[in-house]
Amino acid sequence: MNNIKVTITVNGTRHCLKVGPKERLLDTLRERLHLTGTKEGCGVGECGACTVILDGEAVHSCMVLTAQIDGSEVLTVEGLEVDGRLHPLQEAFIKHHAVQCGFCTPGMLMSAKALLDKNPNPTREEIKTAIEGNLCRCTGYEQIIEAIESAAKSLKAN
Amino acid sequence: MIDYEFLKAHSLDEALECLDSREGVKLIAGGTDVLVDIRKENARAKGFKYLLDVSGLRELKFIEERCDCVAIGALSTHTMLVESPVINKYFPLLASAAKTIGSTQIRNRGTVGGNVNNASPAADLLPPLIALGAHVKLLSLKGERNLPLDEFLAGPYRTNRQSGEMMTEVCVPFLGEGYFTDFQKIGRRKAMNIARLNLAVVLKIDGETVFDPRIVPGAATAYPIRFSKTEGTIAGKRVSEIDPAKIGETASEEMISATGIRWSTPYKRIALASLVKKALETIFAEAKANE
Repeated sequence: MNNIKVTITVNGTRHCLKVGPKERLLDTLRERLHLTGTKEGCGVGECGACTVILDGEAVHSCMVLTAQIDGSEVLTVEGLEVDGRLHPLQEAFIKHHAVQCGFCTPGMLMSAKALLDKNPNPTREEIKTAIEGNLCRCTGYEQIIEAIESAAKSLKAN
Repeated sequence: MIDYEFLKAHSLDEALECLDSREGVKLIAGGTDVLVDIRKENARAKGFKYLLDVSGLRELKFIEERCDCVAIGALSTHTMLVESPVINKYFPLLASAAKTIGSTQIRNRGTVGGNVNNASPAADLLPPLIALGAHVKLLSLKGERNLPLDEFLAGPYRTNRQSGEMMTEVCVPFLGEGYFTDFQKIGRRKAMNIARLNLAVVLKIDGETVFDPRIVPGAATAYPIRFSKTEGTIAGKRVSEIDPAKIGETASEEMISATGIRWSTPYKRIALASLVKKALETIFAEAKANE
């Protein structure tokens, strides 16, 4: 087991860490930084519950070794809120009842955030593509899609 | 329990030196196959001592139009293929294939080099790349080798990459005038879809006659190969003489002659026939619309 020195910026805060060769970004976020908003579902890149934004792109944090991402920037669901105010996506998820058990929600939010950062006017199909790697087993997808559409509108209005 | 030492390459030279000086080095880029294999302790993830991370080699992240081909750097992601104007202009079937891989998260991380070198029988980029006559470039401290992709593949999850070598790019030669292409895929669901079957067809139509057909199904045989017998039945034929359904059946027979009857054959026999039919019909309709 070797220790690898890594500096990563998570939600705007720099962290200098020594990580093991098997430590996944998901483990670093949850176990070291105690950012437990990011969930572990399948651990093999199928469910999307662990989605975070890595250098601007939605990725599975269970499919990235922390040792691989020295110098990178990570945004997790905890980083969406600014000064105690929820992000418009979070507001829209509440308003549209896009949450039931909530386990998939952080991943859904991060996939949606990555989409809207790149494409502020997504079509319904583009929204579906953005969240195709995020499984929801209770609410279903309709409310989630509506929430993302509505968040896109309110982000534009601001 | 799989144990390994993690190494990071900061340059291509460093990666090649590491591959040259050590035994038991496994490469990792996007990790979307490697990390699943390690986690599931798959047999193919065993027997390595070092995991060499090449994901930081920006010099291998490019899609470049050259005089005779489009070169795709090994670290180009599937998302780059989907979004590349060059790929969409010259090889739309490659963009279509990339679009069907995994999910947005997988496409953002997974690389062309990874898809080719993992050499899964169901890899979505292999059939279109083989049908397009792609070559791979292998670098080592000893020099450079260029191999046609179909010679590079050696079996399911096996390639002819030598120890010490690293695949750095895939070159896809331009198709001449009059070529048509199509990619088809079926899986159990639309997203996160590992191909039950996929198919790339490339052919030229000149004055109603089919030339240079290339038919490459994936997940049909041990690893994707050109179906030369099926290709032979349409080469030199006029489009009006070709019955796509019949050619589909021929392709299914060719699959069975390669694999024998397997548990999946009753399904794949019908499914492959209809994929081939659909691809040929799509191409012929496009050719007609272009007249």
